[in-house]
Amino acid sequence: MSHPKLASIFNKDEKKVDWHDKALWFVRHKRDKSVHSVKNWEELRNLGQGIKAHMLSNLDIYLEEFEANANKNGVEVHWAANAEEHNQIVHNILKENNAKKVVKSKSMLTEECHLNPHLEADGIEVIDTDLGERIVQLAKEPPSHIVLPAIHKNKHEVDELFQEHLGTEPCDGNPQYLTHEARKHLRQKFIEADAAITGVNFAIAETGGFVVCTNEGNADMGAHLAPVHIACMGVEKIIPKLEHLSVFLRLLGRSATGQPITTYSSHFKKPANGKKMHIVIVDNGRSEQLSRPDFRASLRCIRCGACMNTCPIYRRSGGHSYDATVPGPIGSILSPGKDLKKHSTLPFASTLCGSCSDVCPVKIDIHAQLYKWRQIITKETPQPFVKKKSMQIMGSVFTKPKQFETVGKIARWSLRNLPQSVINSKPNVWGKERDLPKGPKQSFDQWYNERQKNKNNS
Amino acid sequence: MGSRAEILAKLKANKPEALPLPQIDSSIFDEGLNLIEEFTKKVEVVGGNVYQATSADDVVKQITKMLPDTKVNFSTLEGTSAFNTIDLSTINDPRELEDLDILILESDLAVAENGAVWVNDQSLPIRVLPFITKHLVLVLSKEHILPYMHQAYEKLNHQPTDFGVFISGPSKTADIEQSLVIGAHGALSLTVFLLD
Ligand code: SF4
Repeated sequence: MSHPKLASIFNKDEKKVDWHDKALWFVRHKRDKSVHSVKNWEELRNLGQGIKAHMLSNLDIYLEEFEANANKNGVEVHWAANAEEHNQIVHNILKENNAKKVVKSKSMLTEECHLNPHLEADGIEVIDTDLGERIVQLAKEPPSHIVLPAIHKNKHEVDELFQEHLGTEPCDGNPQYLTHEARKHLRQKFIEADAAITGVNFAIAETGGFVVCTNEGNADMGAHLAPVHIACMGVEKIIPKLEHLSVFLRLLGRSATGQPITTYSSHFKKPANGKKMHIVIVDNGRSEQLSRPDFRASLRCIRCGACMNTCPIYRRSGGHSYDATVPGPIGSILSPGKDLKKHSTLPFASTLCGSCSDVCPVKIDIHAQLYKWRQIITKETPQPFVKKKSMQIMGSVFTKPKQFETVGKIARWSLRNLPQSVINSKPNVWGKERDLPKGPKQSFDQWYNERQKNKNNS
Repeated sequence: MGSRAEILAKLKANKPEALPLPQIDSSIFDEGLNLIEEFTKKVEVVGGNVYQATSADDVVKQITKMLPDTKVNFSTLEGTSAFNTIDLSTINDPRELEDLDILILESDLAVAENGAVWVNDQSLPIRVLPFITKHLVLVLSKEHILPYMHQAYEKLNHQPTDFGVFISGPSKTADIEQSLVIGAHGALSLTVFLLD
């Protein structure tokens, strides 16, 4: 389904949309407060951008360096060209270790590869341990935000879900009680797990180590308790040196939620005695994105979610309306690269206000890329008849001043005189959910000319 | 091995022309912070508490007063073994630590700008300890507080570790309607003691 169709489903519950909008704007506000207290924040962003851009221009070299160092550390490194290969590799590691119960901490990559259903089909239990992810897992939904996976659910829905699946008492949506119950439920899962899967926030070529950031501590609970730890990463997670973490850890937490740093920034390098550690490096379309000069900067993304929190469209249409693993502005420039046809409406889910590019900690020109995708899509995919026709007509009207004047006159008259029911009728999407202004009697041209005349007379 | 060669070849063919690696000049971020003040403020912002102590003994004394009646305690501070109710050398599986109430650990690196305290393998006999414990107590000498992450990594460059973690506050989540709840999967409380 297209973005506008899915967005209109989300928009049915007006109160919820309002809440969603305000909650995310509040997160954006916390980000601002936190960012403004950092001296030379813009320079920090420049460093983030520069280091990532340099990394991308030497990606193969840094990956090889990373692999060699990881091997020295006693970590086994695997390579997957696509989602299927990734799932197969993880599945094989689990089989080799006779693992039937798996705990997973947040990893957008494993979402992208649809790892859970693949493993579950073989009778392996996969439990998402981030609270938000556990909530959407119980609801059989995908996450709707990359940092706040259950932001689309209210506390009463969580209350009901937990009553049904965890046997909790009705609590009128008390977050304290529900979180505590989830802690108990997931504690048990951590204790029983045969293997832990985590994502990777940053992988350091120089040391062969990698960093995982969480607020809940779930990645560490999983990785340190289970005998096997599998970390899955996209090729673009590499940074050259340990010292570069100083830049990215300063940027990430503040951009994501306004925290000065996430609660836990865990640096994994060598497996603990008697334990095993695997890293799966995944391409899945990234090398192709790297080949596109206009779009390769999207690979700098550190998945902070700031562009979603600030986006007026995302806040009012909800993450599920994007029908993609990564929603929001960044998702809208990543997804068309994977499947142009399926995601052809996403680059249009934007006002091009540029707020996403302004908050992005690694300075991705998100709104410019959205615009570029639009050019490609309008050329390569069929457009709805009404949109195409109206754009053609508008184009011809704009180039003919006389016609423009006449059309303007009619429009102004219509807005003043036609009944509401006609103005807000179906073909006019601009009349949906909003009242159009009363048309002025004069056009701007007339007003301007008259004003000039009066000026000259006085 | 999988598709290693194929992936590397594609990346090599598709990457843009080499761009220079920017150098980090940490001096441009320097605001002349009062380190102890800033660190204390930030630990409190992220939900932890900071106290002063005169010695390891004093830490144990203060913490037993704050959290009386705990059953399972462990400290890695020198000369505080009387506090310990478990012997880590008899623990075969980290899962046996599930009932740990208080863990006291030492650190030699903390960061003022974000209240993060570094804990690594050297002071951590079993990696899951600071995550599985109900209450985490970190002990730090004042001179080990550095202003920013940049200085922290300059130091870490010289002490390679197999596993290490920056901890900033107790574990937390806001996944239910954005209401902050302290105590997700990790520690329910975090207390930092500063020694002179
Ligand atoms: S594109 Fe930028 S703002 Fe958006 S998630 Fe990625 S790093 Fe954050």
